[in-house]
Amino acid sequence: MKLYMENLTKEYEGRKVLDIGKLQIEKGDLCGIIGPNGAGKSTLLNLIAGLIKPTSGRLMYGDEMELTAPQKKITMVFQTPYLMHTTVEKNIAYPLKLRNWSSDRIEARVEELTRELGLTNFRRQKSWKLSGGETQKVALARALSFQPELLLLDEPTANVDPSTTAEIEKMLKRINDTSGTTVILVTHNLVQAKRVCAQAIFLNQGKVVEYGESEKMLKSPEHDLTRRFVAGELLI
Amino acid sequence: MEDIATGFHNAIILLLTLDAQLYEIVGLSLAVSLSSVIISACLGVPLGALIGTHSFPFKNALLRIIYTFMSLPPVIAGLVVFLLIMRRGPLGSWGLTYTPTAMVIAQVCLVTPIITGLTYNIVRDKAPTVKALAITLGAGKMESLKLLIFELRIGILAAIVTGLGRAISEVGAVMIVGGNIKGKTRVMTTYIAQLKSMGDYSTAIAVGIVLLIMAFLINTFLYNVQQKIEN
Ligand SMILES: Nc1ncnc2c1ncn2[C@@H]1O[C@H](COP(=O)(O)OP(=O)(O)O)[C@@H](O)[C@H]1O
Ligand SMILES: [Mg+2]
Repeated sequence: MKLYMENLTKEYEGRKVLDIGKLQIEKGDLCGIIGPNGAGKSTLLNLIAGLIKPTSGRLMYGDEMELTAPQKKITMVFQTPYLMHTTVEKNIAYPLKLRNWSSDRIEARVEELTRELGLTNFRRQKSWKLSGGETQKVALARALSFQPELLLLDEPTANVDPSTTAEIEKMLKRINDTSGTTVILVTHNLVQAKRVCAQAIFLNQGKVVEYGESEKMLKSPEHDLTRRFVAGELLI
Repeated sequence: MEDIATGFHNAIILLLTLDAQLYEIVGLSLAVSLSSVIISACLGVPLGALIGTHSFPFKNALLRIIYTFMSLPPVIAGLVVFLLIMRRGPLGSWGLTYTPTAMVIAQVCLVTPIITGLTYNIVRDKAPTVKALAITLGAGKMESLKLLIFELRIGILAAIVTGLGRAISEVGAVMIVGGNIKGKTRVMTTYIAQLKSMGDYSTAIAVGIVLLIMAFLINTFLYNVQQKIEN
């Protein structure tokens, strides 16, 4: 799903924490958002997800330039995901129930996702008995279940071990590749941004400093701030 | 010490001989307390959820009032209800004095704030997270509320059982509005108070033990429901 932002700002108690002049993310992009702590990365993601309202400006979705977030087509995975107090498979099936899928279709989809994410043995496990990495994978499976057009992820591998991180990254690339899902990944891991995302946005103090191919941006940044960030001179 | 031993002995005899008077008292205790709690839950759970998910003027003042009423002394609740329903009171024509209905009304006044306050607490803590999740998964307003109640089911149940514990164990309110009339409004707690003043300690202890057993059974039931949800 294409995204288009124009003079988008967000203020908290009179303090401008986000100020995006013009920004367009194309359909099918796999785009990373990087930047130091407090840069406004989560705020931007929450705005796109429709969880908070902008103070001013416009945020438009899809070719039809819709002004309200099409909640049935977009979804978000949080840094510390909340799983419902029930089994893994019921968590994954929940968005499908909301969309009135038949139980046969739900079963097939849950089977497929748990297999792809190595969760087959956990299907009937209660959510609170999972490890951090398993929890994150279930949250991802639940988000992917209904084949969203836009997937937002807020530091999904911040609390996850390397092998699970690799699994999650592989999955993100694959669904972007095969389903054309637009993926926006907030990460403070620059290596991950380079490894996973074709595009990257560098956000600093609420403003887009640089936007372009991730590899190029991280190898030879155009902007001095980006260079300092990549060199580790700005606090992450 | 001897009184306690005799109390145990008498309790067993009373229970085993299916003492009609005792069962009537236990029955009325349960009927009054359960009715109060059902009514209070129907009022308190939605009210607590509503306050927990909305902001409005004077919300903090309202919360302070609810918290105060959570520890309302039963005699005060009893007194106020009595003044309302007594013959010369504003609701005197309803003829509710010294009836089980009056006892239920007084207990609803005691238990509703407890269930409201406890529900509010768990809703306030969890609602933002659950709401954000519901939105990102494509749930509508009603579906979000349903998910919230589903997620909080154990806490809400615990709030209701806390209310039941309060209702079944309090004596002040039911004494004032019910009057401890034999065969009509006598419940376990008022009976114990009366037996004590008559010096019949062993029967008082016997009834006390029955009351404890009731509380134990209720909590066992809750525990089982909780286990069932968790496993
Ligand atoms: N609900 C809020 N109320 C007040 N300030 C907030 C709120 N959410 C975020 N902020 C502020 O906005 C800025 C950006 O925060 P955030 O988007 O979380 O940054 P990031 O995710 O890049 O670390 C921070 O200075 C933060 O303190
Ligand atoms: Mg953040």
